[in-house]
Amino acid sequence: MRYVPKQPREGINVSDTHPLVEAGTLVVGLTAIFIAIVLALVFLIEVALYFIPAEKEAELFRDWLPDDLVTVSPGDERLYNTQRLVDRLAFHWAGAPYEFRVEIDDSEVANAMALPGGLIIVTQGLLDQVESENELAFVLGHELGHYKNRDHIRALGRGIVFSLFFTVAMGSDVAGLGLKVSDLALRGFSRKQESRADEFALAVVYTQYGHVNEAWRLFERWGDEGNSIRDLVAYLSTHPQAGDRVERLESLAIREGWPLQGRVTALQWQ
Amino acid sequence: MDGATFENLNLFLNFGLPLLLLMLAYFIGSMIERSHLRSIRKRESDYYGYPVVSFDTMPDDWKVSESTMVAGNIVVSLDYFKRVIAGLRSLVGGRIKTYEPLLERARREALLRMTESARGQGYDAIFNVRLETSRLANSRGDGNGTAGVEMLAFGTAVKFASRFARTL
Repeated sequence: MRYVPKQPREGINVSDTHPLVEAGTLVVGLTAIFIAIVLALVFLIEVALYFIPAEKEAELFRDWLPDDLVTVSPGDERLYNTQRLVDRLAFHWAGAPYEFRVEIDDSEVANAMALPGGLIIVTQGLLDQVESENELAFVLGHELGHYKNRDHIRALGRGIVFSLFFTVAMGSDVAGLGLKVSDLALRGFSRKQESRADEFALAVVYTQYGHVNEAWRLFERWGDEGNSIRDLVAYLSTHPQAGDRVERLESLAIREGWPLQGRVTALQWQ
Repeated sequence: MDGATFENLNLFLNFGLPLLLLMLAYFIGSMIERSHLRSIRKRESDYYGYPVVSFDTMPDDWKVSESTMVAGNIVVSLDYFKRVIAGLRSLVGGRIKTYEPLLERARREALLRMTESARGQGYDAIFNVRLETSRLANSRGDGNGTAGVEMLAFGTAVKFASRFARTL
């Protein structure tokens, strides 16, 4: 047998698809699939909202707490007072299907969240920054507004979609998926949902105090001096810009004829 | 700083930076790949005609005076861009095309190193050549290690007894 030397042939074991073409195909294709999944989920959530009344939801999530929530001690004075404030505000929502529970998350970043089953999470950071009961009442009323419109369920669905997306994008295991406050906190509502919640909140504050003085002072302060940068970034990422918000609230109050001046109630723990 | 600047900064840190790194990885990665393939082609043409065969027994007409085992191995990794593409591909399955050049490079480089080793020691041919791969560079259990491949080529190098045998 004769040995005939040959150079190895190229192009047999390697596809001639350019890596960028491969990348483009995959990105476009997967994005299309992802969008389809998102639309399907949004649709499913709307269907679920139609078939699961708020009473049922409240019952399902009665004792539910997110896994990574770090709460303050149950005997905390601020927890007690915030809970009482929520109860008083919820009194103005006739026939509210939820029994609202308040928990304080020990995060330093000012924020508040509406979670399924009437669980309202308020961060320590927010409680540190509010200077009157009226300010806090508006924030809590805003969360009640989300319950009224059932935005929190839609946000939950969106949270699931985002977690799914990030899990896939980061390449971690899908089995690790779970509902975390840290996830939910970052999933905002749409602008429309926010302004509807704001309107509800202002109405509740007016009914409670007879005026809307200081209802939006927290946002004014944030708008004025960009307080602590971190707080601002965190809050803006899930809520409307402070400046627009103050303007909209002010014009709403004037339109409705709600007094802009009135006696401000001090916080119980200050 | 106003809200818009924050948003932009946020956007850049979340999406712009990874994208920039991805592009950088792509350019550096393909540069390295091209230069490696150039070097492989050049050395392959240098060794043109050196018998490297995979018969497991020595051909009858080889008259040899000496033999030894020679081996060549390489551990080579893929750039981040191609790894990300491979990750995306593995979501839906199919040929992971971006890994193929890596395997090709590893295989040819390992064979070349084995040949270089045999030539360096004065051997005339190699038979019973085998290729082995392992997942050395990805041995972490969670699968998050470096995506790379190890290729080992080994065979029996022989010295021919007479110069004539060289032309067999």
